[in-house]
Amino acid sequence: MNITEDMVKEIILEVLQQMQGNREPAITPQKDVPPIQIKEVGAARPGTDRNEVVIGVPPAFGTAMTKTIIDIPHREVLREMMAGIEEEGLKPRLVRVNKTADVGFIAHEAAKLSGSGIGIGTISRGTTVIHQKDLAPLQNLELFSQSPLVERETFRAIGRNAAKYAKGEQPSPVPVRNDPMARPRYQGLAALLHNKEVQYVKADRPSTEISVQL
Amino acid sequence: MAKRQKRFEVLEQRPVNKDGFIKEWVEVGLVAMDSPNDPKPGIKIEGGRVVELDGKRRDDFDMIDAWIADHCIDTSVAEEAMGFDSLKFARMLVDINVPRAEIVRLSVGMTPAKLLDVLKRMNVVELMMAMQKLRPRRTPSNQAHVTNLKDTPALLAADAAEGAYRGFTELETTVGVGRYAPMNALSILVGSQTGRPGALTQCAVEEALELTMGMRGLTAYAETVSVYGTEQVFVDGDDTPWSKGFLASAYASRGLKMRYTSGTGSEVQMGYAEGKSMLYLEIRCVMITKAAGVQGLQNGSISVIGVPGAVPGGIRAVLAENVATVLVDLEVASGNDQTFTHSPIRNTARMLMQFLPGTDLIFSGYSAVPNYDNMFAGSTHDCDDYDDYLVLQRDLQVDGGLRPVREQEVVEIRNKAARALQAVFEELGLPAITDEEVEAATYAHGSKEMPDRNVPEDLRAIESFMKRGGTGLDVVRALAKRGFNDVGEGVLGMLKEKVSGDYLHTSAIFDERFEVLSAVNDPNDYQGPGTGYRLEGERWELLKNIPQAISPEEV
Repeated sequence: MNITEDMVKEIILEVLQQMQGNREPAITPQKDVPPIQIKEVGAARPGTDRNEVVIGVPPAFGTAMTKTIIDIPHREVLREMMAGIEEEGLKPRLVRVNKTADVGFIAHEAAKLSGSGIGIGTISRGTTVIHQKDLAPLQNLELFSQSPLVERETFRAIGRNAAKYAKGEQPSPVPVRNDPMARPRYQGLAALLHNKEVQYVKADRPSTEISVQL
Repeated sequence: MAKRQKRFEVLEQRPVNKDGFIKEWVEVGLVAMDSPNDPKPGIKIEGGRVVELDGKRRDDFDMIDAWIADHCIDTSVAEEAMGFDSLKFARMLVDINVPRAEIVRLSVGMTPAKLLDVLKRMNVVELMMAMQKLRPRRTPSNQAHVTNLKDTPALLAADAAEGAYRGFTELETTVGVGRYAPMNALSILVGSQTGRPGALTQCAVEEALELTMGMRGLTAYAETVSVYGTEQVFVDGDDTPWSKGFLASAYASRGLKMRYTSGTGSEVQMGYAEGKSMLYLEIRCVMITKAAGVQGLQNGSISVIGVPGAVPGGIRAVLAENVATVLVDLEVASGNDQTFTHSPIRNTARMLMQFLPGTDLIFSGYSAVPNYDNMFAGSTHDCDDYDDYLVLQRDLQVDGGLRPVREQEVVEIRNKAARALQAVFEELGLPAITDEEVEAATYAHGSKEMPDRNVPEDLRAIESFMKRGGTGLDVVRALAKRGFNDVGEGVLGMLKEKVSGDYLHTSAIFDERFEVLSAVNDPNDYQGPGTGYRLEGERWELLKNIPQAISPEEV
């Protein structure tokens, strides 16, 4: 094999870039994430256990769509939120909210079903809300509206804070990251993803209890 | 890796290639202003009632069709207006011999599909010409965002003061943490009246809380009342045109200025565009606003700008939606308020569309804080761009609403605002603003330089202030007691204006003597060269004298 000077330069450049991590990842359809094994357990019922936090997800979550806008697998999203809730000594419960893909309404539905009155709503691209059943649907306890900035650790912290609210504590809100450049990079893609999400909504179908094998 | 062509390697690294572009997806409505699913213009009126709108019979109306048919379209001119050839009407929009009044007389009789059919025929220069002629207020103006990552009050006050001092006539805040809202509203209220009495303030949060703050006198106007162009998206927002109309009436009944907000791309962003083009749906929003009797609209895609920004012709559609708003005689706060590109070239080009013709509020708003502190997720321009903006005004002799300032004046005004708020906090029993915070806020570039506050303590205190019925009058009392009489008079002036209600007129802003400037007493009379708003005389002297320019006497 002939190694030209150009090829050496290219390789050095590539290694340097990897070392410095200064190159933003390109938006490309990334490697496949397999769907989560999800069992529908039946209709979702209001809980009575004051030690639970309900997590609500839309129909495409973990099935037709399998990762967030920054490629965090949905399996990890659930695992982090559930671990966060458990760290605080509380129990997570999962529901599928079939009638909407609106994160505020999903979170509010989760809160209304939750024995503690605290719920989390997460949609496929990663947008997340912590909600409380007595608040108006479009209010929230905490809102993570910029999906490209919701990272693995954010999901863990969201689980933890939701559990703290459920225990009647007043936690410091999870620090909100802010990146003015998230919109130009991701908003068009977010629109594509959301239009896909919406195609799986079943307006007439009530929420269902689900269990997952993580 | 294949051998790369070096120019392509350079191009790949340019900021514009960090932007996300997508191809049109017509079936779901990811298309700017021309979808085969957009209806054809048409109207049938029987007994003064619209029975068919854009090819749809009344029996098939959705709630938005019904709202527009019954409350927006002026049936007394509808047949005449709809009879106009769209191309002819488009030409009238750019014809200096056709006055604004004649355009508006007819446009209010048109249907959404008709307005689309007219606007589709215009290029961006023609659309700018139409804006120059049609915006309701003769004098253009500008709005600022004042927020920070920590919701830290002394800095909010200092930034609001500087913003008002630099010339913004409206200042908008929002929150990082939702429950901080009343404290943020209070902070920019005090700051704004320190910087320039009469600057209007708002706090964009959940609607019920926003209204409460307005009624309590903690804000002077509202803007974040969102409307949407399809029924499903309205319902997802837990709303109908009627509930939004009710909310608008609530503001009006308390003498508070308000406008709605909408923007191209919101429906498709939420997944329910019904395959219609972004501009068609946005025109429906403009007409929903008109139908509610609301005086104005914030549009220009706003928080969805990345969506039209990602499709072909999207930025033209954004200008067209601003024009649609003034075309039906509404105030326009014309966007430019959210980052939509990594490219400074694209960014400026997008802004010139509103800056050059002038609009009621060119930005809604311009970030008066560094973009890392902008809790609306960043604006197109921020405080680091002030000098570029002032030079653009000077280069092109265009009034973009800002004026040159001196560093020492800004330091003084920032410091006074922070001290005034410190006094107010002490009088109202809110957690103390320390001297260290006042000093930091005076000289800071952004919130990174601010000491941290005890957040749970702040939240408890402001919740308790709201629970015990705290109002703007408490703020006036505190300011007067601590010797900040001029600031107190500004805050009191704002409360008084809600009683007189003069600023409910279309496109109203205040000057520093609380004189209203609106479409009623400052109507746009542009009809070509020598008419309309001209940047000249005293104002031009002020704007052209940037401190960094060298005078002949100095050399």
